[in-house]
Amino acid sequence: MSTCQKAARPLTRCLQTPQGSQLSARSIRTFTSSPRSNEEEAAVESTKQPRVWDPLTVTSKKGEKALMKSGVMPIGSRRRRMAIQTSDNIPFEQLPYQCFQEGLTVLKEDRAEKIKLIQTERLRISNLQALDPSKLKGGEQVKHTRLESMRRHLEYLKIQADRNDPNIKKRFEDGDGDMNKPIYRFLADEQWRKYQRRQIVQRINQLGIVPDVLAHFEPSAEVRLAFRSRQVEHGGFIDSRVSEVPLRLKVQVFDKGERLVSIVVVDSDVPLVDSDKFTSRCHFLAMNVPLSPTTTSIPLSQLSLEQITLPWLPPFAQKGSPYHRYSVFVCEQTAGKIDTSTLQSLSRDDFFLRSFKDKHSLKPVGMSIFRSEWDEGTAGVMARAGIEGADVEFRRKKVVALKPKQKARGWEARHSSAKYRQLWRGKKPFALKR
Amino acid sequence: MLLPRLQPPLRTAVKAIGRSSQQACLNEAFGALAIRGGGPSISPASLTFVRHASHAQQGAVNKAKDGPGKRLGAKKSGEQYVIPGNIIFRQRGTHWFPGDNCGMGRDHTIYATEAGYVKYYKDPERHPKRQYIGVTFERSQVLPLPRNSMRRRKLNMFAQKMETAPIEAPRPDLFLATDGSQAVVIKETPVEQKPLKLKSGYMYRKSNWEIGRAAERAKIQVKEFKPRDRWAAWKKTIKRRAANREKRVVGGKKTKKKGRKSMSRTT
Repeated sequence: MSTCQKAARPLTRCLQTPQGSQLSARSIRTFTSSPRSNEEEAAVESTKQPRVWDPLTVTSKKGEKALMKSGVMPIGSRRRRMAIQTSDNIPFEQLPYQCFQEGLTVLKEDRAEKIKLIQTERLRISNLQALDPSKLKGGEQVKHTRLESMRRHLEYLKIQADRNDPNIKKRFEDGDGDMNKPIYRFLADEQWRKYQRRQIVQRINQLGIVPDVLAHFEPSAEVRLAFRSRQVEHGGFIDSRVSEVPLRLKVQVFDKGERLVSIVVVDSDVPLVDSDKFTSRCHFLAMNVPLSPTTTSIPLSQLSLEQITLPWLPPFAQKGSPYHRYSVFVCEQTAGKIDTSTLQSLSRDDFFLRSFKDKHSLKPVGMSIFRSEWDEGTAGVMARAGIEGADVEFRRKKVVALKPKQKARGWEARHSSAKYRQLWRGKKPFALKR
Repeated sequence: MLLPRLQPPLRTAVKAIGRSSQQACLNEAFGALAIRGGGPSISPASLTFVRHASHAQQGAVNKAKDGPGKRLGAKKSGEQYVIPGNIIFRQRGTHWFPGDNCGMGRDHTIYATEAGYVKYYKDPERHPKRQYIGVTFERSQVLPLPRNSMRRRKLNMFAQKMETAPIEAPRPDLFLATDGSQAVVIKETPVEQKPLKLKSGYMYRKSNWEIGRAAERAKIQVKEFKPRDRWAAWKKTIKRRAANREKRVVGGKKTKKKGRKSMSRTT
């Protein structure tokens, strides 16, 4: 390249760059006598409309701040939003990867097979139901067992049909699953059993709930507790001032249909000084509470008066007493609605869930636990609830030793009896003159 | 122990070396003998190993080990009354396992954790092979207890009225059950009115943190130190010198005043 070409390179480059195309009509003024300000005002006005930020695609900090100020939170991480903004946004099942699409085809075929099986099973069930039991060898009993078995198989097939669908998996993981559908209930149950159920079973064994409160218990529903907005860990210690307000329950059942449940809160460590034992007390009892897989939230303070048999008594532990365990049981009413007028005379003290559940045919399905100890607020809580005994302190009884106290040792001890009264200090022996 | 035995010709040679001991060590003498090469050649075949009938180590090394007895075994028999802490069984390993109201120490010692009567029993539902030691509250109680029955527990406490009424310090972060609109105000008693506490060293004095906050209470304002501000530093110096001068005057005429060296200006 010659020197003059080199020298002119910046200028030529400037001319070659498509900056000319970027120049707007505003900046290139044609010959006109009108002032520039007119056009500028018009331009400014047109950009004055507030920019609308999409929570799914906003990436700039300015945009995020503007969104949050307006009350809408940006969805997902910034990386996700950038990906959505820059990608073609093809739906997941249409992604153009050969193996993936082949795999999806296989799954679709499998689903079609399962649906066929579901249809045949349904037909078989309806045929068997229409059949007269006298024609069967075994009669009504055999018909009943066969129908039950076929229904179980039908439920299994329904789940197998939907299990491999990636959209269902995604929807469940996002929390958008409809709990009225069996597949979402199944997935929720599976997830619960992996960890949370194991945790509650561990706490039940560790804190001795099973032998003390109930003889046997297998949780089949997930129960979570909260006081106002404070979540409670299974078996966690709760301040008396926090538990002064009624609980908020979140119960997730994994079988279909609506049912009526009873909620019982039992304190199993009430000390009895006279008999040197522990007894139970009921802190809350509510009956005929409707529960279904979709209605999971039960705030105890918002139950109706007919449902509440024993209103909320704040948990309290007197000073020096060992910690109190409060078990919250959710029990299914197998006999339907219970008439609460018979329970008006129910006493809180000496409340034993074992006998209570047998009397009213309750089946415990879920439970959670929390514990309580004496703290500075207990006196105030007891005063406000009108409970006596805030100034009582429990102290350990002295254990009487089996071994007798050690004999006194030394010359002084050995010579302190009456036999040696001549040697007693401060006293001179009286010597008889013979 | 097999001892090597030297042949007669070698023995005389060694004796000769011993007589004429020019070398300090016998080993060196043997070495010199080998180097010289003369004399009878020492072959390995000439060394014979001898075994005696009995030896001193026979008694100690191959004997079975037996030390003083460790007094293991049961210390409390069945249905004997025990109190918490009483050792019931001493063992090596777990011949017996701790059952109801019993604990196990680091050397597998079974001890009682409740006052009651000792019971030795087996519980196949807990473990098919193990045997347990437990403590019951009644002598006639049989262990193991029936399956899934309520645990027997004793309170072991007595109730007493508290000397001072339980004081509750109101916490502003927690909700008040009655009304959440009123803010809770904590009134602090002034430090001067607070009673003095007994501290370590048997001194009645204020807490160190209270002493440390005295300046805050007196609302003393202190200018922030700026490292390279020589103007402020000079002002401080002037002030300090003036204060020191005053102190010296107040202190008494006996104190010797040090004359300040005046800088003589050179013209």
